[in-house]
Amino acid sequence: MDYFKRIFKESIVVVIISSIFGLISGTILSENREVLYSFPIILLILPSLNSLIGDISTVLISRLTSHLYIGTISPKIQKSNRLKEDFYGLLITILLSLFALIILGYIFSYISGIIIVNPFLIILIIMITVLLLFSLMFVFLFVSSIFLFRKGKDPNNFLIPITTSLLDFLTPFFMILFILLFI
Amino acid sequence: MEAQDTKGKIVKEVFPAEIVSIMGDILAGVVLTLLILPFDSFFILILIVPALLSMRGNISGPFIARTSRDLIIGQFNKKSWIENVLATYILSMVTAFIIGLSSLLLDLILVKLFLVRFDLLIVIPIFSILLTLTISIPCSTILNYIAFKYGLDPNNIVNPIMTAVDDFSTVICFYLTIILLGVP
Repeated sequence: MDYFKRIFKESIVVVIISSIFGLISGTILSENREVLYSFPIILLILPSLNSLIGDISTVLISRLTSHLYIGTISPKIQKSNRLKEDFYGLLITILLSLFALIILGYIFSYISGIIIVNPFLIILIIMITVLLLFSLMFVFLFVSSIFLFRKGKDPNNFLIPITTSLLDFLTPFFMILFILLFI
Repeated sequence: MEAQDTKGKIVKEVFPAEIVSIMGDILAGVVLTLLILPFDSFFILILIVPALLSMRGNISGPFIARTSRDLIIGQFNKKSWIENVLATYILSMVTAFIIGLSSLLLDLILVKLFLVRFDLLIVIPIFSILLTLTISIPCSTILNYIAFKYGLDPNNIVNPIMTAVDDFSTVICFYLTIILLGVP
C-alpha cells in the first residue's frame, strides 16, 4: 500500500485547502443572494469562467516551469522574447475563449429561458474580471516561479494548487464587486 | 517543443481544449441555475457547490494525471490502479466530511438559514462526491487507456475532456443527492 500512502500524504493538505477556498467562494455567493437572483446568468457562466482562468493559469505555470528548467527563460525578473510570446499566445487564447464563452453562455441561456438582464454590462464585467485576473496572475506567477525556482523548488507543485484555489474565490469576488460598483 | 512554441502554436493547442471545457462547464451552470436555484435552501446549498467543484478538480485531476503517467512509464497494473482509486475515494470522503462540517458552521455563524437538517449538510457532500467519482473514475481510466492505445498523449487529451465531464457530473450528482435526501 505504499502507492496509496504516498498519494494520500501528498494530496490531503492541498485538497483541504482548496476546498476551504471553495467554501469562501460559496459564502461570497450566498451572502450576495440579491445579485444572483437579479443576474442569474452569473450563476450560469461562473463554473466556466472559473475553469477558463484556472486552465490558462495552469498552462502558464507549466510553461514557465519548463522554460526555467530548460533555460529558455533565465531565472531573473526581466522581459524576454520568450516571455512575450507566451504572454501574447495566452492572451489571444483567453480572449478567443472568452468570446466563445460569452456566445455559448448567451445561446444556452436563450435556449433554457434564463433571463439576461443588462447584457452589455454583464459582458463588460466578465471581460474586465477576466483581463484583470489574467494580468494579475501573469505577474504573480512569473515572479513566484522565479522565486521558487531559485530556491530549488518545482513551481508546478506549489503554484498550480495555490492558483486554482485562489482563483476559485477571486473570480466570484471580482464579478460581484464589479456588479455592485457598476449598478 | 515548448522552447520554440510560437504564440500561434500556443493558441492552436490550448484553444480547442478550452472550448470542450467551456461547453461542459456551461452545462454545469445551466443545471445550477435551472435545477438548483429554485430550491428554498439554495443559499445554503451554494456554500457547498464551489467547494465540491474545487475538490473534484484537485482530486480527479491528479487521479487522471497519475493514471496517464503510469500508462506512459509502463507501470499501469491492477494493483497500482486499485491503490490509486482507493486513495482517491478516501481523500474525497475525508475532504467531503470537512466541507460538510465547515458549511454547517458557516450556516450557523454567517448564513443563518436553518432550512436543511444539520446531519444532511454533512451527508450531502459525501454522497454527492462518491456518486461523481463513480462516474469519473471509470470514464477517465477508459479514456486514458484508449488515448494511450491509439498512440496519443493522454496528458493532452484526457484532462480537458474530463474537466468538462466532471464539472457537469458534479452538479448533476449534487442535484440527484439533494433530491434523494429530500432537501427542501
